[in-house]
Formats: sequence, C-alpha cells, structure tokens
Amino acid sequence: MNSFLQALASGTLTGLLYGLIALSFVVIYRAARIVNLAQGEVLMAGAFTIWMMTLAAGLPTLLGSGLALLAAALIGLVIERLVFRPLIGRPTTTIVLASVALIIVLRGASQMVFGPETRPFPQVLPAGAFKLGPLHLNLALTIGAVLTLVVTEALHRFFMNTKAGLRLSAVAEDHMTALSMGISVRRSAAIAWALGASLSALAAAIYLSGAALDVSVAGIGLRALPVALLGGMESVRGATLAGVLVGVGESLASTYLDRHTSGAMSQVFPFLVMIALMLIRPQGLFGWKVIERV
Amino acid sequence: MLPSGVFFRDFAAEAAYLRTGPQRLALALFVLALVLLPALAGAYLVGVITLMFVTMIAVLGLQITVGMAGMINIGQSAFVGIGAFVSASLASKLGWPFWLTLPAAALAAGVSSLLFGLPALRIKGFYLALTTVAAQIVFPIGIARLPSAWFGGSSGLAVEPVSIFGHALLKQHELYYFNLAFVLLFALLAFNLKRTRVGRALIAVRDNDIAASVLGVNIGYYKLVAFFVGAVFAGVAGALLGYVVSYVTTDHFTLWLSIWYISMLIVGGMGSPLGAIFGTVVITALQESLHALGNAAAARFGSDFGAFIFPATNSVLGVLIIAILVFQPHGLLTGWNTLKAAYRIWPYRHHGG
Repeated sequence: MNSFLQALASGTLTGLLYGLIALSFVVIYRAARIVNLAQGEVLMAGAFTIWMMTLAAGLPTLLGSGLALLAAALIGLVIERLVFRPLIGRPTTTIVLASVALIIVLRGASQMVFGPETRPFPQVLPAGAFKLGPLHLNLALTIGAVLTLVVTEALHRFFMNTKAGLRLSAVAEDHMTALSMGISVRRSAAIAWALGASLSALAAAIYLSGAALDVSVAGIGLRALPVALLGGMESVRGATLAGVLVGVGESLASTYLDRHTSGAMSQVFPFLVMIALMLIRPQGLFGWKVIERV
Repeated sequence: MLPSGVFFRDFAAEAAYLRTGPQRLALALFVLALVLLPALAGAYLVGVITLMFVTMIAVLGLQITVGMAGMINIGQSAFVGIGAFVSASLASKLGWPFWLTLPAAALAAGVSSLLFGLPALRIKGFYLALTTVAAQIVFPIGIARLPSAWFGGSSGLAVEPVSIFGHALLKQHELYYFNLAFVLLFALLAFNLKRTRVGRALIAVRDNDIAASVLGVNIGYYKLVAFFVGAVFAGVAGALLGYVVSYVTTDHFTLWLSIWYISMLIVGGMGSPLGAIFGTVVITALQESLHALGNAAAARFGSDFGAFIFPATNSVLGVLIIAILVFQPHGLLTGWNTLKAAYRIWPYRHHGG
C-alpha cells in the first residue's frame, strides 16, 4: 500500500514537470499553430542560458535564473523571426519540417558554443526530500509542481479571459480568418514563442536543478510530446492534467511492470498511450475537434 | 517537358519511360559511369558512395511516404534498423543467404510500420509525424529488451558477409556493385510507382483526401500502403547496411539519422524520386567535404578546433535546410528543372508555369 501511494505521489510530481513542458508545446501551438518538434532543443537552449547567467556569470542563482527566463524569451523571438515568420501561411507539413531542421541547428549551435562536455547545473531550487506522512517527496519537484499549477491557471485565464489571449486563440483556429479579422498573426506568433521559450527554460530549471547539463537533456522534449497530445494540443489545463495521468501511469508501470519487462515498460508507456490515443480520440482529452467542411 | 519538335504518333511511345534517343543515351552513359567509378576513384570514396547508395534506398522510400502520400515520417531510421536487425539475425544465426534475408527484412520493416501507420486511419497531418517519433523511441528499447538470442540485445549483432555462389563479398568494390544493383532496382521501382494506379491514388490522397475518397479511392488503405512501401524500402536499406558495415547496433539507427533522411528529401525536393536521389547526393557530398575541410583545419589548428568544426558543419547544414524550406520549398530540383526547360525552349524565354 505504501509503495502504491509513493508511486502515485512521485508520479504526480514528475507528471507535473511533463505537464509544464507540454504547456510550452501547447502555448506555441495554441497561439501560432506551429507544432514545434524542437521544443526539447529550445529547453536545452534555456538550460544553457541559465548556466551562463548563474555559474558562468557569477550572478546569484535566483536572479540569474530570472534573467535567463527573459533571455530565453529573446531566443524564442529570434527563432520565430528567422525560421517561422517566413513560413506563415505555408502548409503544416512545411512548418513541422522546419522544426525538424531547427533540431539540427540548435543541437549544432549549442555544441559549437558549449562543447560536448557535461557541466554542472546550478541548484536553482533547494535540494533534498521531505517527509509527508508515509511519503518521501523531492523538494525541488514539489516546488516545481506548485509553480506548474500556478502557471497553468494563469495561462488558462490569459487565454480564456483576456482580449489578447482570445486573439491568440483565433490565430490557432486559422491564420487566414484571424488575419481577415484584423489580428496580427506575426505578433501572436512572437508572443507565443516568447512565452513558450521561457516556459521551457522554467521547466529546465526544475528538471535539472542540481543535476548535470549536456546536449542529451533535449531528449525530454519528445518524452513530453505524448502528454501534450493526450491533453489536447489546444488545452492549457488539459496539458497539466495529462501530465499527471502520464506521470502516474509511468510511475505505476515502473513500480509494478518493470520487473517483468526489465525496465522497458515505464519508458515505452507514454508512447503506447499516444498510439492508442491516436486511434481512439485523436484530438486528445480536451482538444478542439476539427470538423472539415467541403 | 519535351524538346520542341519532338512528338509521337502512338500512345505506347508517349507513355514510354524514356521517350527520346538522347534520354536513353544519357541514362546509358550515367549507368556506365557508375559501373566504371570504382576503377577511377579511391577506396575511401568508393566506401562513401556505397553507404550513400544504402541511404538513397531509404530516402527513396521516404519520398513515397512523405512526398507522394503526404504523410510526414520522422521514424524512417527505426524501420531501417528493423530491417538491419532482422536480416543480421537471419544471416548470422540461421545462415540464410542474402536473397532470403532481404525480402524478410523488407517484410518485417513493412509489417512493423503498419503498427505505427495504423493511426493514419483516423488522423492526418502532423499528428502522424508524432506516431513515427514513437517508432523511433520504442525501437531501440524493444531491441535491447527482447531476448538477446534473437537480436543480440543492446550489444548488437555481427553480420556475415554476403556470399554469391559461394564467393564472399569482402572487397570494397564488390560491395559497391552489390549495392549499386539494388539502388538501380529500387530507383526503377520508385520512378515507376508514380505511373501506376497505386501511385496516382497516393498522389490523390496527398493533394486532397476528401476529393480522393469521393473519386472512390480508399483513403485508409492507400495511407497504409504508403507506409508499408516506404518501410519496405527502409527494410532493404537496413539489410544492405548490415552487410556493408558488418555489425549492427541500435546506436546506428537514431532519431538523428531519421532527421537527416528527411533533410535530404527536403533539400532535393519531395515531389519526385529524382529529388530524393539529388538530395542524398548533395547532403552526402556537403557532409563529406565539410568534414574533410574540418579535418584538414583540425590537423592544422589542433583538436579543439576539430571539436568546434563538426557541430558547426551541422549548424550550417541545418540553416541551409531551413533556407531551402523558406525560399525553395520544392527543393533544389526546381532549379534544375527550370534550367532544363530554359535549355530546351531556347532561344525563347521561359515564363514559369
């Protein structure tokens, strides 16, 4: 019973981290209709920025990390301006392929600047664990989970209740319609990228706090992709909830099934969910169902 | 477009693949050049081109799934890997000859692609790209966890060399000819697919799936066919790769490799098999020459510079790919076709079309 509760609790915490990364997918998709497969690489760029601001530049950790979030937003703006703005109005296929090329560029550029070696990542959030009843919880992940919930609620309100947010949603529906209603697709995409890139940097801070940093951290991007799909690419709250579902599923799989599959089940689980989802409910739990008129 | 003044009196001549004498001559000369190449080039270059042939088969397959049927596949190297492991396992554990392992590899890759293509029945567009990412991630985990008696687990498998009539192909130029035969065969298949009922159905599904279904094309069936055929090419490429490098591990077949496959297709142009061939040649040539430059520079300026130059190469190529997507979305082949048309209608002006 205790191991079950423990699996639930730690699954929820990891799941909320996935949820935060999924949010960065959702924000960019929801406001710019761009599926950015290079989101993991954007997260990695954010992580390197945090490292530069704190350990390399010697600023206090929290101040440096805060500045790094702004710098990450800037990186997002540059990516939007150089790669995705020229592609406004092009087919989704082209945009997805551009994000694939972006993977090559960002990986290459970060290795060019930072080299292949692994470096320490600053302790942005306090280390250690604390006891809550029978459970042991990771302190950094718990703080991250609270942050994720706050960010989710704020973003949800932004998209649903403010004029600026509703404009972004119109762009997600259709570029042409949005343009004809006087909404600037360019500005929406820029806002989306700035937001998405800073969210990734925030996720990097939670994920890597006190750990090591190299190019391989970009891999978490694709692990969070099933989460974004499960929640529905357009749904802010959905991303967080789906994060919890996938996190808990993964953690239960690792507690009960990994023994029989020599550790494979928890790694494969999110992707099995994804394929099943594509067959049963392609728009995800809370995504928009697209009805095509001919 | 045909040169001016050339016309045909019967349909068979119109429909023929090679319609004019100069076309036949050009193809014959090209194949002759490919056959003579090992006599002229050094062993290293022959090795590079042999590997390029293998890549070309995988990219030709990708052209069918992505270019012809319009479904993004960023998991092609996983299917290449499945082909490689199945063929390696059959060849080294059961001693099957290559003419049995190749079809088995093709079939294994094709069937496993159906599993990841199945969602295509319900979804379209970018969602499909995501299930192929799943293939890419599940593949190495699957190989490593399956009993190591089957596929060698995470340490990989050694592959026995190809043997034809009891003669083992060990020399570089023998492998070159072996792969050349297959690349010619599969290029022929890819070029001809467009001219068949299946090929036209795939193009119809890509251009407008609803219109295609109104015309009586079974969309779901043809989407699966596109996946299957693309993966069959990948499976064959994988089997050949195993024979060329003589050892397969899951490290060969990463998402990174899939990304390069798709990049080659973007650079060449997705619309035709010629684009796939063109893109493979261009990217391989660029990679090799940039690496050679990098090596020369590293020898001169020290190994630190070498560690800088290789990721720099990738960044340059990545920027090139984005530039092509932005400025020349139909690939470099468009430029070639414009030149050809301009040459043929000279001295008149070419007004796009």
